[in-house]
This record gives sequence, C-alpha cells and structure tokens, in this order.
Amino acid sequence: MSQTIAEKILAAKSGEARVTPGQIVDAYPDLVMSHTATWRSVSVMKKIGANTLYDRDRLAIVLDHISPAKTEKYAADQQTSRNFAREYGIEKFYDVDAGIAHLVLMEHGHVKPGDLIVGTDSHCTIYGALGALGSGIGYTEVASVWVTGKLWMKVPTTIRLTLEGGFAPGVSAKDLMLHLIGRLGADGCGYKSVEFYGPALRAMSISERMTMANLAMEMGAKCVFIPPDEKTLEWLLPRLKDAASYKPVSADRDARYEQSIGIDLSSLTPMVACPHQVENTKPVTEVLGTRIDQAFLGSCANGKYEDLAIAAAILKGRRIDPRVRLIVTPGSKEIMLEAMRSGVLATLMESGALVTNPGCGACAGDGGMMADGEVSLSTANRNFIGRMGSNKSSIYLSSPATLAASVLQGVIADPRELYRGASQ
Amino acid sequence: MNMVEKILARKSGQKSVAPGDVVVTDIDLMVMHDLSANFVMKVFDNEMEGASIADPAKLVFAFDHNFAPATREAAEALAAVRRFAARHGIRNLFDSGCGSIHHVIMEAGLVTPGMIVIGCDSHTPIYGALGAFATGVGNNSMAALGFAHGKGWFKVPETIQIHFHGTPMKGVGPRDISQFLVGHLGEDGAIYEALEYAGPYIQSLDVNDRSLFPLQAIDVGGKCGFVNPDEKTVRYVRELLGNSAAAARLELFQNDADARYAHIIDIDVSRIEPQVACPPTVGNVKPIDAAVGTPIDVAEAGGSTGGRLSDIRTLARCLTNRRVHPGVRLQVVAASRGIYLAALKEGLFEILHTAGANIFPPSAGSNQAFNMGALAEDEVMISTQARNFPGRNGHPKARHFLASALTVAASALTGRITDPRTLEDL
Amino acid sequence: MQDRIQGRIYKFGDNVNSDIIIAGRYLIYIDPAQLAQHAFEMLGEAFPARLRNFDILVAGRNFGCGSAREQASTAIKGLGIKAVVAASFARTFYRNAINDALPIVECPALYDAVAEGDEISIDLAKGVVSHAGQQYGFPGIPASVAKILELGGLANYLKSTLEAGKP
Repeated sequence: MSQTIAEKILAAKSGEARVTPGQIVDAYPDLVMSHTATWRSVSVMKKIGANTLYDRDRLAIVLDHISPAKTEKYAADQQTSRNFAREYGIEKFYDVDAGIAHLVLMEHGHVKPGDLIVGTDSHCTIYGALGALGSGIGYTEVASVWVTGKLWMKVPTTIRLTLEGGFAPGVSAKDLMLHLIGRLGADGCGYKSVEFYGPALRAMSISERMTMANLAMEMGAKCVFIPPDEKTLEWLLPRLKDAASYKPVSADRDARYEQSIGIDLSSLTPMVACPHQVENTKPVTEVLGTRIDQAFLGSCANGKYEDLAIAAAILKGRRIDPRVRLIVTPGSKEIMLEAMRSGVLATLMESGALVTNPGCGACAGDGGMMADGEVSLSTANRNFIGRMGSNKSSIYLSSPATLAASVLQGVIADPRELYRGASQ
Repeated sequence: MNMVEKILARKSGQKSVAPGDVVVTDIDLMVMHDLSANFVMKVFDNEMEGASIADPAKLVFAFDHNFAPATREAAEALAAVRRFAARHGIRNLFDSGCGSIHHVIMEAGLVTPGMIVIGCDSHTPIYGALGAFATGVGNNSMAALGFAHGKGWFKVPETIQIHFHGTPMKGVGPRDISQFLVGHLGEDGAIYEALEYAGPYIQSLDVNDRSLFPLQAIDVGGKCGFVNPDEKTVRYVRELLGNSAAAARLELFQNDADARYAHIIDIDVSRIEPQVACPPTVGNVKPIDAAVGTPIDVAEAGGSTGGRLSDIRTLARCLTNRRVHPGVRLQVVAASRGIYLAALKEGLFEILHTAGANIFPPSAGSNQAFNMGALAEDEVMISTQARNFPGRNGHPKARHFLASALTVAASALTGRITDPRTLEDL
Repeated sequence: MQDRIQGRIYKFGDNVNSDIIIAGRYLIYIDPAQLAQHAFEMLGEAFPARLRNFDILVAGRNFGCGSAREQASTAIKGLGIKAVVAASFARTFYRNAINDALPIVECPALYDAVAEGDEISIDLAKGVVSHAGQQYGFPGIPASVAKILELGGLANYLKSTLEAGKP
C-alpha cells in the first residue's frame, strides 16, 4: 500500500513486505552488469580470495568502452575479462563487437520490468525505460555482488514528473531532458527515484524513453522509471526467453511523492548543454553559429536506430560541411544491421560521415579525441572537461536533429529550420 | 630502356638513362599519411625556416592510421597537419575515415602512368601497377627536395624481371603468389633494384590484383616495382579519371623490346600453395602447412593489402550462411569510402555482419594499432596486413600471421589458421 | 581507522565531477599511486603535485558527480588526502569512498567558513568538524555501512566475512 515503484522493487528484492524512504535494505539484484571495467572486479575477487559466484546467471559482461583494444594494456585487460567469463561459464558475455552494454542487454531480453539491476556504469538508470530499477556502483562493489549476491541500498524518495502536450517538429526527448537537467540541476534528483507519467508519455517510442532514462542520471537520479505500457510489451516480449517473466511493477495509487512536477512538451525548444557541465544548458538559439570541428552521433543516450534515422533523414542527399568531422557510432550490432538494411548507413556515409563499429565510441574518449581549442557537438550524455581529449577542448551536447542540422552548416544550428514548411 | 628508365629519363630531361646514373627529376606527386605528414612537417618547419612549398598541388595527405584519434596526442598531431596544410595551400587532404592511403589516392585518380610518385610510406611502390615510377623516400628528402623544390634525385636502379606463368591452383591467389616471391627472394633479395612483374599470369590479373606485387617490393629491399602498362592499365586509369583533361593526356611509358635486366626469374605459379608470413617478419613466408592449426583470436581483412572490394567479396562469399567461429573476432576494414559504400550496396557488409564480423571505418585498420589491433601477449591474429613485426600490434610476444583474404576467411570460420583449399565450395 | 583527522584544506566548488577527478584514459590503473599522478589533471598539469600539499578536501555540492568510476576515490586517497568534506556527495562517489575506506563527511555548513590552507579537525566518532574555534556537526554514516569503512574498505570487509564463513 502507498508504495512507489522503487519502494516496491527494493522491498521485493530484500524480502521485505514494505519499505520506507531512508531505510537501508540488503537487496539482491536480478542482474549485475560490468563492462570494460570487468577486469577490475576480477582483480578484487582474486585479492579477497573468492572463487565462487553467488549465481553466475545473474552476471552480464559487455566489453563496450574500448572496442577494440588499441594498446597492449587494454588488450590484456580484455583477455582477463574474457577468461573470467569462460572460466565461470558466464553466458551473458558479449565481446568488443557487441555494442554498448545497456543497449545490448536490453536488446537481448536481459532486462525486465521490476528487475533490480546494478553495474559498473552510472547510466544503468537507462533500464528504467523498461520499468527496471537500474543504478550504478563501483567495481569493488560489483565484485561483492558477484560473490555475496547482495548490496545495501538506501530506499529513495520519489519525484513524480508528468508530461503533457507534445514535441514541436525538431524537438525531442533529448531536449526535454536537457531542459530538465538545466532546470533541476546536476543534483536536482540526487539520491532520488524519478517516475514519469502523463498522456505525452504514451506517444513516446522505446528509443525516446531510453534517452530519457539515460539522461536522468545527469540530474543525479538514483533510478528512474517509465512505467511499462503496450509499447514496452511490444518491444520487449519477443526478446524475452520466458513471456511469463514480464511482470511490470506500478506505483500504488496512493504512493507518496516528495515532489510533483509538470512539463508541457509543447513549450520546449531545442537545447544544448554547454561546456563543461551538463546542467549548463541553453536554448540552441543562444549558441547559434558556434563553430564546431567535430560531431559525434552515438552513445547510450542517442546511438539507437531511431537517432541515426533522424539524422539520416536530415542529411539525405546532402554533404556535411567540409570543416566538420562527423563520427557516427551505432549503439549495437542490431542497430548497425538495421541501419545497413534501411539505407541509413549508406546515407550517413554518403553525407561524409565516418561510421565506426558499434560501441561506446567517442563519448568516453574511445576515438574522436580532440586537440587544443577544438569544439565537438555530441549526442552523448556528458560534456565534462577533457572527456574527449584536450582539457582545452569543448563539448556541447544536443539531440540528433540538432547535430544533423549543425553538421550541414559547420556551426551549431537550429533543427526547426529544417522542419518548417516540410512534411515530417 | 624499360618503363622505369624511360620515366626517369623524361623527367630529368634526358634522352636516355642507364642503371647507375644519378638523375635529378621533377616529382609529380608526393604522398604522406597522417604519421609521415606529421614527421615531414616537423622537418620542414623546424629545420627549413623561411622555405616555401614549390607546388602544393603535388602534395597529398591522407589520414589513414587514425580514423578517430584515440589519444589527445594523436589529435594534436592531426590538427597540426591540418593547420600546416591550410597555411601552405595544400588542398589534397583526405581526412580521417578516407581509407588506406594508397587506395584513396588511386580512387581519387591522382596517379597516372608516367608519373614519378614519392612517399614516406614504404609501400609507395604500389603505384608501379599504374605505370608510374613510385618509391619511398625519407622525411628529410621529402621536406628538403620534394616540398621545397618539387624535385628528387634517384640512382637509376638495376631491374630484375620476374616472369610468372601458369595457372594457380584453386584457393591460391595473387596475394599468395606475391608473398611466395618475398619468401623466395628473401628480404634482401632485390636491394635497390626495380622489380618488374611480368609474364602471362601478371597480364591475366586486373590492376587491383597486380598492385599487390609492387606493394611488396619493399619487403625484398626493392626500390620500386612495376607492371609494364597495357590496355588494362589504361582502362583502369581512364575509369578513375572520367572525362578530365588528365584522361586526354594519358601517355604510357612501356618497356622497349630490348630492355635489359640484371636477371630474370621464372616462376611457375601452378606449383605455389597458399602462403603465410609467420612471425616475426614479412620475409618469414612459408607454405600454409607450416601454420595450419594455430588457434587464432583475431582475423582481419583490411589495410592496403586486403581491404579491397575483391577481398570483401571473397570474405562474404565464404561467410554466406555461416558464422564466424565464436572464439574469433573478425574485423573488416574497407580500403576506401568508395569500397565501403560498394560493399554496403552489394549487401556484402550485411552478410559479414550477420555472420558475426565487425565492420570498421575505411582506414589502415590494425596497421600499427592506432585505433584498433592491439593484442595481448597470448593472442594471435591472422590478417591481410602488410607487416607483422613484434610490438607493432600490442604485446611484442603476440603473434601476427599475414595471408590472403581467402585464408583469413577460412581461418575465421574454423578458429584456427586454415588452408583455404580444405574449405568446401570455395 | 582513525577517529580524528586533521590538516590543511584545499577548497573546491560545486559539481566537481568524475572526469575532473580522474580522466577516463587513466582507468587502466587501479593502483592509488599511479592514479594520484593524474588526479585532477584536467584542471592543470601542476594540480596532482600541488594537492599533495594538502590533507583534506573541502567541496561544495554534488562532489564526485558523473561516472561511477571507483578510481575517483582511489586517486584522491593516492594523493594522501585523509578525508573529503562536502556540502553533498554524488551517491556513486559516496559509496565508492566508503568501499575504498576514504572518510567522507557531509557538512554543508563548513563550506563558507573555510579558505584554502586553513586547518580543520574532524572527529568521526563525535560527528564534529572543528575550524577556527567553531564546531560544525555532521550526520554519521549508517552503522551497517560504517563497518565497511572501519574494516578498511569493502574488499577487506568481504575478505574477513569470507574467512569467517570458512569452516
């Protein structure tokens, strides 16, 4: 009774009837994921002298941040991760060609509504797009979960966000989130859970929901939920081994929220996050004409097929400005295949983009590094100083549409210009 | 005179030249990739103050080792070359993701028969397949003579002719034949010499496959390599040039009937088996039996020696309705944007991707492990790359075998170095 | 683990993020000494060496925000920093610091009172920070969690639990 989604999940995973915000529970995650950091957790296991896992089926390993190895050290670390997966019989092991961990795990049906998922990546919040509680932890703690099966968690309070209206042409989920992060701040949802509701939500694709749940991390959210609906079912059911395992968790009607915020999507405009903090947001109109040297379309925030397709629709039959280097990194093998089949990949290459193999790519500095004074426009979720190379370089964050409009001109541009008068 | 002598004579303003003569010639094209452009630029800026570039239109920079710089230092190096190019009006700059330098340059129609092409990359002799005299020079010569004066000096080389005849057996291709030659001559087998690849077998090959031979001239210490230009050469170049003025001006320099050679080697290709260059060097070429069964971790078709459309077609043919072995990471790197797009449109990438391969941007691929291709100590790679020296691809003890695209495909299927002749329906 | 920590402070502002503390390219290291060489390097090459002259970091809100990288707290420890006092911590940094046995203190009131180089003293048992004759209280870490800190971090805690579990 009167439980939020986070409360219900944490109660269920810790064997409690109900929990209250502030309470500390010992929770048993359904899935503990690790990525390129896996070797570090392996080293912790060795250090503590442990050699049995609580439940190997709860482990998922995806080598995504550095794909593939470009130095001996990375290669050796990847071997450590591979060997561990083989030695312990980890079935949910995906190598350097698979793509971004979060996308791969969701595509392969390893994330279900109501699941508790922790991992070596702060953007585990993305699993909330499918109604799962996802939260990031460090590599030592991951090793601890590997061995003991559990971790302590403090039950969060929940903020309720209600979305009304609809996006104007050229405005998207990324802009919504940048708006929210700018408004609430980098710690606006610190330690809290966020639940999204509203009539506007139903119209949003799974891809857009993933973008939302991903970016929620940048306002400090511990976890975020977009309650599953027909769209979720349609996307996820074919991917699940066992259809009966699809058991969405919804908040009680009388669940208690710390705060309720309403957003009218119709009032939103394209946004950018300016160097060097995500909360440093501005409407794109305030930075028009900013010169860019490089652009990156990819990441768990906006490297999904729909994101690539939006950019391709804008770039079709056109060439990007010769002053800009556009790097496109499909988020996963599945996404790359769809882009091959639909012609999106060819369109992007023909426009002058460089399409890489799937993975995290330039978001976290795997390629796409910048020299002093260079400026990048990126669809990723972080623009912290030096993240993409020199500490004298700058990163602006934007939506795929804004990025596509900008690479055509060689400067930051407003995508709405392209949608005015044109059928979408 | 032969083709090389004729070109050197013409470009040095002489009626004829003979082996041993030292000539000073105009240079038609100077090619550098991202690493060498950086080095030459430093020599030019730091040691030649006040100098200017004689003719920027003759310079070509192609960024191929870095398709997306993996370090800040790499990014700074590329940025520096871009600034240099802008400062000096060098417009032929193919930025990251263009492909592998030589294929980019050939595809752009920048090389025509009769040209003298110098480059800081040791595989520059590849253009000998287009009827050009092409050779590698050091950073200092490039900067001091090439950049500043548009000239170079050369000692006219002796030429050895390799006469290939016969029909290769099934499963054996031009890469195997070319590697066989390297093993046969040895790494010092043709020092300072020009190698002419001739005979009915060479004549039967298209220009793309012919290029695999001069590409490896350096591996036997050769100064350059070439194929006597013929109809195929003309057709190949005309297709690239379209209706341009350059196409109208095409002039072939062909061997005289009485051209002399230091010696002539005869090779019956029908007796050659699939070859593999084993660690630790390109000259350690053996028939594939010597390596068959070695488990591999990585397989790659890419680089100037193996990212061609024909190579990607070979891979796709072998992998249709099959899966890459689960223990293998198969990497496919197109040698140019044109090749990448063609492979996409032909459905080759879809086949390879579905089979489990990983498709990379047009570039030099794992060559020297800038963006990819670093191996751990116990890892093994088989690739179509040009070099396998220790430390070039990660740990010095990692092992790198070089072979044809077909052998790479066969090995990717089984997880071990495999003789392609044992593959069903090749 | 010490109950009293004292020394000179270095002061940071709000939202000191994970990439500032330790850049992604250094995550190939887990050794505190190697990481410390690059701690806060994005603020300037001289920073890692400079911070070794201080004992305690004092920061504003949301310290350690961004990535869940554990090496952020490891790098700070490697510098010889004995504790971090902040107006608030990002949750991932909070957890990682405890797991790394780096004492962290949530004390918003201290921030405005201090300047770089000041001496402060932290009494972890009493939950009090002293500075220039003033005392500032801070909430303790929940008991169940505090024992991880006390045992020298999560790895040590786990090791002792495993050993205790052995017949």
